[in-house]
Amino acid sequence: MKTLIKGLALNYPVKVFATGLVVLVLLSLPLFWMRFTCETSLFFRMSNEAKGVSIAPSLLVPDELEKDPNVVSPSRASANIRYQRPMSLGIFDYFIARLPGGRFTNVYLFKSYGEWMYFDIKTGQLVHSYLEEQVMPDKTPFRKKVQLYIGPEGVSETADKALGRFINPIIDHGWTDVMQRQSRELMIFDKKLRCFFKIDFNQRTTTKGPKIGKESPVQKPIKIGRLSKNLWLFEDHLSWIPPQIKSSDKNQSNKPIPIIQTYLNHDAGPYLLVLDESGEIGLLDKESLTIAGVSGRLPAPETYFGSKSTVRPRDLLDYEVLPLILTTYFFEDPEEVRMAFGDMSYFFKRKPSRVEKNYLGIFATGVSRDGSALALTVFDEKGKEIESEYTKFNKQEGLRTTPVNSGKAVFFEAPWASTLTIGKYLAENLHPPILSIASYFTASAFEADAGHRALFFLPNSFIAMKGRERPVNFAERFFSALWLILPSIILAILLSIRVSKDAVVVGLSENTRLYWIIGTLAFGLTAYITYRLTRPKITLLTCQNCGRPRRPDMAKCHRCGSKWNVPELIPPAWRVLNGTEQIDDSSTTDEEKTGVE
Amino acid sequence: MFALIKREVRDHIVYFIGAAAFSAVFIIMAISILHNYDLRRQPPAFSIVLGIPAITIVIFGICAMGSTQMYLDRTRKISALLSTLAISRNRILLARIITGILAILTLLVPLIITAVILMRFVSFLFPFPMFPGIVFNISVTVFLMAFACYCIGLQAGWNSNPLTPSLGALCLTCILLPLIIVKGFGLHILVILVLFIVASLLRTWHTFMTTSL
Amino acid sequence: MNDNVITVKNLVKYFDGRCVLDGINLKVPRGCIYGLLGRNGSGKTTIIRILLGLEPPTRGRTFLLDAESTELSAKLHGRIGYVAEGHNLIQNYRVGRLIKLCKDLSLQWNDEFFNHLIETFRLPADRKVKELSIGMRAQLNLALAMAIDPELLIFDDPTLGLDTVARRQFLELAIDLIQQQGRTILFCSHILGDVERIADRIGILAASKLVVDCPLEELKERVKKLRVIFPESAPANLHLTEIINQQIQGREMVITAANWNKQKQTILETFKPSSCTEIPMSLEDIFIECTKPNPEYIES
Repeated sequence: MKTLIKGLALNYPVKVFATGLVVLVLLSLPLFWMRFTCETSLFFRMSNEAKGVSIAPSLLVPDELEKDPNVVSPSRASANIRYQRPMSLGIFDYFIARLPGGRFTNVYLFKSYGEWMYFDIKTGQLVHSYLEEQVMPDKTPFRKKVQLYIGPEGVSETADKALGRFINPIIDHGWTDVMQRQSRELMIFDKKLRCFFKIDFNQRTTTKGPKIGKESPVQKPIKIGRLSKNLWLFEDHLSWIPPQIKSSDKNQSNKPIPIIQTYLNHDAGPYLLVLDESGEIGLLDKESLTIAGVSGRLPAPETYFGSKSTVRPRDLLDYEVLPLILTTYFFEDPEEVRMAFGDMSYFFKRKPSRVEKNYLGIFATGVSRDGSALALTVFDEKGKEIESEYTKFNKQEGLRTTPVNSGKAVFFEAPWASTLTIGKYLAENLHPPILSIASYFTASAFEADAGHRALFFLPNSFIAMKGRERPVNFAERFFSALWLILPSIILAILLSIRVSKDAVVVGLSENTRLYWIIGTLAFGLTAYITYRLTRPKITLLTCQNCGRPRRPDMAKCHRCGSKWNVPELIPPAWRVLNGTEQIDDSSTTDEEKTGVE
Repeated sequence: MFALIKREVRDHIVYFIGAAAFSAVFIIMAISILHNYDLRRQPPAFSIVLGIPAITIVIFGICAMGSTQMYLDRTRKISALLSTLAISRNRILLARIITGILAILTLLVPLIITAVILMRFVSFLFPFPMFPGIVFNISVTVFLMAFACYCIGLQAGWNSNPLTPSLGALCLTCILLPLIIVKGFGLHILVILVLFIVASLLRTWHTFMTTSL
Repeated sequence: MNDNVITVKNLVKYFDGRCVLDGINLKVPRGCIYGLLGRNGSGKTTIIRILLGLEPPTRGRTFLLDAESTELSAKLHGRIGYVAEGHNLIQNYRVGRLIKLCKDLSLQWNDEFFNHLIETFRLPADRKVKELSIGMRAQLNLALAMAIDPELLIFDDPTLGLDTVARRQFLELAIDLIQQQGRTILFCSHILGDVERIADRIGILAASKLVVDCPLEELKERVKKLRVIFPESAPANLHLTEIINQQIQGREMVITAANWNKQKQTILETFKPSSCTEIPMSLEDIFIECTKPNPEYIES
């Protein structure tokens, strides 16, 4: 073991790899910050107009409502890019992912007044604690703390194995909203059991749906109900304004005035939205707990090199999907028709006799990986795409205005954008070429958010963007991608020439020189710095035979093969030695090299 | 080996005292924060604002220790004397590294114990594990980061020019430390730091074993 | 077990392009006291440092106690006592602490002998090493080297800074050690009188070469200094090889030659000198002759 460790420590390739790794880490960090600063600055410099998009009229509201003569402004769906790039840094992501509702926590809800819900891995059950308003016999109201244990087989106030075990549950995070909790129903999907559950808190029952079949359009749900990537951050990135009606005309008809609502309760009426790993958005029937159909899919924003036809949730930096439902309240006394907002039926002095909810369709937004482009798409109740809008920047060219895709505009159309783009480009080209090329091939492998904290691969680089381009001829796409790292390749070639020349001077063997050339071509500046740190630190002397620098630790000149001669020393012609040793003042015949690689 | 470690500890006792003092200060701060703030409402943001520069200073101190150990050895020819005694260069360097680890542990172990105890108290506020594994993740990351910066100090310190150990180590630590901001406290940073530490130590080992004393 | 405690094979050392040692071959047999001599900067300390593994050689190999110098184990180090030139001790330690450290790190420690030495040298345990005089540091270094009962002692100018009495005490200690079976000493010193008293074998470095490596008595036999008087003016060229030095003044010629033998004597006699007397030389005289630069005698 000692010999192995010593051998490792003194072995030249090991030393080179160790030094190379240290240099790679220490060089990648400043380059990361340079890219991060440029990208963040580019985003902040984007005009607000290029960060938002809207569709008006929304195309989902029935014509009789949208085109009502009393309507002064049509319905409008708007979306804005609100993603803050620093939030993708690891240290923030670490804590955010562990807050209630985050991806690495089993706590779904936590309120300081004493209501919470979490998944207990040990028992496999959800535990929900809340305060229930009750009335004492003497009519005094009080709040009683209730703790429920929820399993696939039922709900109970005591922990009981008979309730069963969830294995990998996903809950509808929309339920954490206080408005939605009024419904007293919670939907759960278990990834391992592959079926949906409906928890009724009033009845304290669990209803289990059938297993997802192979024919289902949704095979691997990743989110249900509230389909929003960043639960804790950037709420209300998608907003909705219903048709605005003149206030004096409110009660002119006796018809019940429907309430159109798409608030953050993510209520889809009789359905629940289910997001699949592939980007498909399914509709779950809340009664039968089966997938009733497809409501749409996540839209693909237009980036610098265009957009793909389909996009997965992991490819988007942010997404949000809101269903639009038409809620109609019916009253026995038509004179008590009121205009009200939302499902807040408790605001009514009298409860409506009947409430009807009709699903109209969904609005889906997606933000590109680099956060520079957003797409907003409207899907009707059958899941057909009606309209799509993409963020654009209106570029002034004289008297004309030309809309430019925001994914392109971000790099050139704002003050200082060109300088920052060049800075980003330079930082990418100082990166090892081999890692840049690897970024091309692994462009889609990284989750969008994680790409912003990647150190060694560059999923948000220009070459990676090219790698994600809509597939055409592979060779053409690859070689055009190489143009994007041309400065990096040129730098690597120049550095490898320098390394090669120096290696000859320093007396490295042919094989070692070849490895260094290949290494420098692959790793560029990193390899060059590593070479400078690991090259033999020996003062070269002039060979008497060929006149070129030679290494004193080699018995023969590595250039001309001549033996040693130290002309500045004039040893005496005599010796007084024991035995019959002959004077040999010519260079030594010892072939041994010390410290030679 | 014990004698070597004892020698190193005694020669650099000021770092151990500093580590213990910082540890005590952090513990008092943590207890004070928990006492004065209701964490159910909002964690005190100033604790993060103060905590980050404090940890930075501490890690610079650890780096300085590595740098000082090697610089003083080189200028005072300590290893030249020691390697003529019944010990090898391997052991001299190993004792040095163990001393560095002990200094880091002097700083971190009391903090970790306090954190675990305080988390137990905090768990009364939260009836479920609110941030499971957070103490472990942060402790391991901070330990590895401190050790990595210490290794940078060891590499930069083996120089007879006093500027190189101080400025060089400082610059490289300033570059490495923000890795925590980039990667957070998860598995990725642990892998990077472990590889960095192994590579750094191999380099230091090679330099120390082949240099003239 | 090898009979040679120290072996040096074709050792070459360069410092920043300057050749210090050029193909040194040396063997020190077990039980021998080897005096390595040379002028300042001739490479004596370099050879010792390379032997102890403190300095890597440029080319060549060195062996100490059957192990290569670059791979000396801790155990082998424990069998070697070393007194460095300049007395490399940890300056800011107190004497007591330094002693304790060396004691803890040694494989064996002769407490009685060490205490005797400390008492003899009267070294204060509570004073810092940097506060001691050079002589006291030398004594401390010596005591530390000898306390471990070493099999091999390497001294690099050990009496530097010692007063006459202390030097005599050191020599007596060295002689005591010599008498212990199997001990080997390699030492360098500029006080050639001391070397002459105790050394068995002498090595002399000049122009990066080991020009002398033989027993002391043999050296005195082989290197001769002669005063030759000729009837007329002394001839410019005696056609003799291995002339170390030659001075001509009128009819008188003083010649120092290496490896003097009958053949050389015969050649000299062909010039019919009037007289030829040998000038006795001490080791110091031989050393001066061997290391004095003489540009007339350049290797052809």
